[in-house]
Amino acid sequence: MMVAVFMALLLALLLDRVGRPAPALMALAIGFALSVGLFLFEIYSPEDGFRMPWLQSARDVAAAVVG
Amino acid sequence: MPGTAPSRLAATLNDAFLLLVLGVLAAILSAAMVLQYAFGEVPCPLCLLQRAAMFGVCFGILRHFRDGASDRSIGIAQAFGVLLLVVAVRQTLLDIAPRPGHAYVGSAVLGLHMPVWSVLIAVALLLAFAVKMAVLGGDVAPGAAPPLVWAARLLGGYVLALCAVNLVSVVVQCGVGQCHTMGYRLLE
Repeated sequence: MMVAVFMALLLALLLDRVGRPAPALMALAIGFALSVGLFLFEIYSPEDGFRMPWLQSARDVAAAVVG
Repeated sequence: MPGTAPSRLAATLNDAFLLLVLGVLAAILSAAMVLQYAFGEVPCPLCLLQRAAMFGVCFGILRHFRDGASDRSIGIAQAFGVLLLVVAVRQTLLDIAPRPGHAYVGSAVLGLHMPVWSVLIAVALLLAFAVKMAVLGGDVAPGAAPPLVWAARLLGGYVLALCAVNLVSVVVQCGVGQCHTMGYRLLE
């Protein structure tokens, strides 16, 4: 998928350079959408989903101390 | 009032500013590639997405020089700036707490690792666009000075070449599958 992202961006830059703005914007939009999709895929964890439980460690420690 | 002295000055300043941003981005992307090829630091997937976001910002700026001043060009650049910020912040938070199997990828530059630098770059970009719009406004006269247009064309060619090299590099590193930082898949 990363290859598709860079391919779309290169196509966008290339098309814009040769004076084809509409297809260039279309390629850029595809590149943007693929980037967002790939980002969500990369950060998703089967255990935690999109959460970041390691950032709650301080609160958990405080709760353990109080408890 | 297009054509009057203040608006032409504003347009020239606007173009010079955007050219400067484009040059800085090209330098940052070049530095990332030097770190990759000369120092053997294989980029992680989120690092590659940050590069992609920077190419998107470059696209928006290059459109400005091709089409004349327009909010659309700056909007494109800002959208990719926000993408850069989101990806960089998430990557910074991913490794911010020491735990097994998680450490910042690559070496530190001036004490900061690459994702942290990316956050600073994204914030600086968005802040620069905000200051530009606040100071110069969004309705500057179209038509950049020829030397600035030529410089933008030259830098645009360089950015295009950088993007092409990055594409080849991604193909070698990831193939058509998922990217990893262990090495270059096609060279194993």
